[in-house]
Amino acid sequence: MPEVSYADLSAIEGALSTINHNIATVNSNVGVLSDVQQAMAYKQDAMDAELRQLMEAFAAFVALDAKHKNLQLAETRVGNLRQELQIKFGYYAEIRRMATGILQGVDTGVVGNETIKSTTEEVMIKAPGYWLAPALVSLASWIRDDKAICDKALTESLKRDDYKSTLFFMLLTRRLGRNDASLTWLERYFMHQNPQDLDREFITVLEAVTTGVFHPAARTVMMKHVKTWLNQLTQGDRFINEQKNQWMKYFEASKPALQDGKYPLLKQHAKNWPVLENSLRETKTHEVLQNHFNSIISSSFDFSASVKVKLDQILTQLVTNFDDEELPLQRQVRLNQLVIEKEGDKDAAQAVMDAEETIFKEKVDFLQMLTNAAFNPEAAGVTKVTQALAVSISQPWIIEAHDTFTAQSRNKFPQTVELVIDAFATATKNGSDEKEQVSKQESFYASELQKELATIAFPTAGVVIGALIGVAGFIFGWIGGLITLAIGGVMIWNNINNVNKKKEQVKKTFEERKKKAKEVLRGCLAETVDYRKELASEDSKAENVRQLLNSITPQDFSSVSQDTARNII
Amino acid sequence: MGKILFNTDNTKHKPEATPNQEFKTGFRSDRDLLKKRSEKYVKLFSSLDQKALTDVQGWKELMEAVQEEFGTAELASLPLGIVGKCFLGEQYEVHILDLSGSQIIKHFKIAEAMPMDFEKARALAMHNSYAFIEVYTDKLVLIREDGSTTKL
Repeated sequence: MPEVSYADLSAIEGALSTINHNIATVNSNVGVLSDVQQAMAYKQDAMDAELRQLMEAFAAFVALDAKHKNLQLAETRVGNLRQELQIKFGYYAEIRRMATGILQGVDTGVVGNETIKSTTEEVMIKAPGYWLAPALVSLASWIRDDKAICDKALTESLKRDDYKSTLFFMLLTRRLGRNDASLTWLERYFMHQNPQDLDREFITVLEAVTTGVFHPAARTVMMKHVKTWLNQLTQGDRFINEQKNQWMKYFEASKPALQDGKYPLLKQHAKNWPVLENSLRETKTHEVLQNHFNSIISSSFDFSASVKVKLDQILTQLVTNFDDEELPLQRQVRLNQLVIEKEGDKDAAQAVMDAEETIFKEKVDFLQMLTNAAFNPEAAGVTKVTQALAVSISQPWIIEAHDTFTAQSRNKFPQTVELVIDAFATATKNGSDEKEQVSKQESFYASELQKELATIAFPTAGVVIGALIGVAGFIFGWIGGLITLAIGGVMIWNNINNVNKKKEQVKKTFEERKKKAKEVLRGCLAETVDYRKELASEDSKAENVRQLLNSITPQDFSSVSQDTARNII
Repeated sequence: MGKILFNTDNTKHKPEATPNQEFKTGFRSDRDLLKKRSEKYVKLFSSLDQKALTDVQGWKELMEAVQEEFGTAELASLPLGIVGKCFLGEQYEVHILDLSGSQIIKHFKIAEAMPMDFEKARALAMHNSYAFIEVYTDKLVLIREDGSTTKL
């Protein structure tokens, strides 16, 4: 037998275990490395964050620096621009001061004719081109009864700026109580106006005429012009349709919200509840409008004092505001002032400037002006008297808009209320068909019950097995047969009994569901009846609004304003 | 400001309706379309129930009234027809006077469908505030008892 020699593998085993050990070491080193890597990643994140902070801080610094520079620049510029203004238009400011002084002097009667004479003639030389200079000369010569100079100066003033001179003399003569003169100037002022492009102060003048601050004959002048304008503007559809649409939007926006929990069942079960709700809200608008228009036309209060103050404000503005020539420079001054105000933020300053300019430039057509005054008298800067006047002039298209609004709302009335109660869907016109609806619901539940019962299958398997077991015992003879027959019989009986119990259960549940659903259905129908009643009664209020609007006669413009005027005169 | 006085260039009325619109509707503007209808016209068309279909004289009267009311307006600008409440019996709801060509009066029962163009006027025709509705291809004009109009 050959001797079996065993190779000595201990060295290899030792080497292997060393390798193993080394691998473990490497492994742990790798683990350490990954820890290091993680730590590095944390550090990097931290550095990132710091860098970002630094960047932000730097950007903020740059922005702040730019603002500072803007601010400094703006401050310097304001100074320079003011100097330029002073050099170029310094006398304008002086004339304005003088005009204010003369007006006050005339009012109080403390300034002598000589003083006025010497001071005014000088301004003609100092401010060539400025309309206020000859206007002042004309005023001064009028005070001392020098007709020749007065006429000449007046012509010059009108030549320089017809519109401003007209406005100036109109307001001045009104203030001095020279009725005939003020009427003539008013007529000229009206001729200046373009009904498609009215100046901002026009509404104040209109209000002054309406409230009787001017001579009563002024109203005739106004009516004559307003009628011509209306004829011009209402020839085509564009202007009227624009106003009509605005009124319709206004009516739409006046929709009141429904009282909470008014129709709880319909809200829950009517599929078309949003339509039902919207229709009711629209019809409820009529009452809101009725009250609104009523309050406008029935308000009577003497506003003439506040109107007089406003007219004087226009006059003051006219003599204190900058002239067109100065405007470019003044505008730059304003922008730089705003930059200073906004602490160097140029964009913010420009935004404010733009907003200011739009207000300044804002011009409207006559109909739009009426609509503004009728919608929001406070924002339009008018009193309730002018609001009433505006409504009475706009009456034809307010009625048109209201008619259209009403017709649209009526056209949207839901024809039926679509109910879904516990899977039973039905529709009722006005809720008066309870009998039919209930019987429909009954038959729905009957057929549903049939369907449900049909799903409970006859226990064929159980019965068959029971039968087989029952028969199987007979293999062992009569006694065995009888025993299994009994067992089989019990099984069959059990199966059938279970099914019957299940059916009973289903029937019971259905009965309960039906009972509850019937109550809900009856409730829904009752609410539908109420809903239809309320809808019809709110809808009929549209006719009242119509009557009210029709009763405002456009011919006599505003009875309120005339009464007020009568009270003043 | 500083306007030139008596410059009436831009205050002059410019006709708003473009020739195109005029061609399409035949009316110069809504102002014409919405003018108050005459008492005679309203009365005549509110009482269509009493007109027998074979009444030749009645037909003539109706057509004359339409022509009188709309003047020399082109055929395209005339209403397609008129929808009004029907009082022939409880089961009747509305009736149509078709002016577009067939020129017949037809009465419709509850839930009985009307021709396409007229169906849109049904709900409003049944409203008590309106005497009847003039149906056009692109709009409805609702006529009240007093002859005032509303475009929809």
